[in-house]
Amino acid sequence: MKLWSDPGLARTQRWMQAFILADGDDETALAAAQVQAEIAKDDALAMVLPSATLTSLERVGIYRDMYLGRLGEALEADYPGVMHFLGVEAFQSLVGRYVEVYPSRSYTLNRLGDHLPVFIATQTDLKNREFLHELGRLELALTEIFDAPESPVLSPEAIAAVPAEAWETARLQPIAALRLLSFGYPVSEYLGAVAGENSFPKIRKKQTWVAAYRNNFRVHRLDLKRSAFELLEAIVSGASVGTAVSQCRVSQRQLFEWFRQWTAEELFQSVAVD
Amino acid sequence: MANRWNYPDLGCGVGLRTKHYDHILTNRPPVDWFVILSENYMDTGGRPLYVLDRVAALYPVVLHGVSLSVGSTDPIDFEYLRKLKALAERVNARWISDHLCWTGVAGLNVHDLLPMPYTNEALKHTVERVRVIQDFLERPIALENPSTYMEFRTSTWTECDFLGELAQWADCGILLDVNNVYVSAFNHGFDPLAYVDRIPADRVMQIHLAGHTNKGTHILDTHSDHVVDPVWDLYRQVYQRMGGISTLLEWDADIPDFDVVHAEALKARQHRQSADRQAAEALEANEALV
Repeated sequence: MKLWSDPGLARTQRWMQAFILADGDDETALAAAQVQAEIAKDDALAMVLPSATLTSLERVGIYRDMYLGRLGEALEADYPGVMHFLGVEAFQSLVGRYVEVYPSRSYTLNRLGDHLPVFIATQTDLKNREFLHELGRLELALTEIFDAPESPVLSPEAIAAVPAEAWETARLQPIAALRLLSFGYPVSEYLGAVAGENSFPKIRKKQTWVAAYRNNFRVHRLDLKRSAFELLEAIVSGASVGTAVSQCRVSQRQLFEWFRQWTAEELFQSVAVD
Repeated sequence: MANRWNYPDLGCGVGLRTKHYDHILTNRPPVDWFVILSENYMDTGGRPLYVLDRVAALYPVVLHGVSLSVGSTDPIDFEYLRKLKALAERVNARWISDHLCWTGVAGLNVHDLLPMPYTNEALKHTVERVRVIQDFLERPIALENPSTYMEFRTSTWTECDFLGELAQWADCGILLDVNNVYVSAFNHGFDPLAYVDRIPADRVMQIHLAGHTNKGTHILDTHSDHVVDPVWDLYRQVYQRMGGISTLLEWDADIPDFDVVHAEALKARQHRQSADRQAAEALEANEALV
């Protein structure tokens, strides 16, 4: 009979984690080099007691089974569009490959998916990879907006208090929960279709521009024309209203309509007058 | 029996879940207290924190975490503790709890409540960490007995004795999860009542109840269903032995409407009252015999 020795707490934990994270089925994982580097296969099996109904391997394997499922659930919540496009099986496969490269290093699962769009861009076997990458970028921005700090909102009174002649040099400060994004595919429309807001677009190249923001603690997407996006981008970058407007070739009426909509949607928190 | 810190019996609480935010803010249901998953509120400036602030103004709030990783051999994450402490102060948390487990090593987090080998080395290690954590947080914490699916041959302590020793030497509280006792008893073949009998009652700050999923060969602690009758029976036994202790109903997957969750939590109150009646009847019967 083999003499048993306790490998100690640290090694036991390193072994169990390596086993949980290893590829393949339970047998393969148990035999993986990085797992056996901590505790040899036979010693590891001897370290875990069997139950009346499960072998040692089946028991510790329960923790492996739950690992990818739990991380997959977290990423599903953040990337419903990517999952819809890929389907459950392909999405789970993507999750498995992703967490191998980007395992969680945080106490929270909330930011587990921060690298997923970048990771998708590297997955050459993915069909419509460019589209998926952009869809991922949009969904990542929405998660950032969800958690962004709350900002004060520019009130109608504050706007009315700015003298007409001061708008030329005035600067509008955006809320923290605003992102301006441009895409080569209709990803916002696709995400809207996943949410049942509209029909699915054809997946083909099409320039689109989106303001993603939070209003009253709800995350929204506002599809923009190119000129509106460029104007808003200039303002968000710190340009004065006068400078931003001077670069924009649209009617005064259109400009007025855009600013009315953006202030109504509470995209700005303050106005600074020189 | 009161716990040694005189933390009050808050009654029957439920978890604060995103799905129920609107219902709670609109209807202000008569819930005794709420528990939040600490990590979900640490790094957000959005709706979760907005809702939490309003809930904390209306109800007692308790913090329950899953990433303290008290048994890990990695260094203690003081940035995590700093945020946990700030959150507890923000919502005037009645107490803070986590689990007797580890969640990762080498800087990783597998986001699971991984089982400890119950050895002297692990006990000493965990006692030292809990002391440091409590010093930092400036308050005692409660550690929950986890549901486990495997046992280490290296263990020289039973889980209940390990937890009792840990609580004594680290001077921390115990969060007695009655469902977890039942789940682990099924998975490992021990007597759940004997387990409960070994827990030092004066260190139990809080009790958990939840539903689980019986896979035939083992039970998974899924928090996805109603509490089963054997767990209610065990809860009554705990109540008769330890008295009224703040009791939380956990329902974290396949979450139904708020009223269903709350009704399940209120069953704990009915079980307590029923246990009180039984005890009174038994006393009367004894007195009649005398």
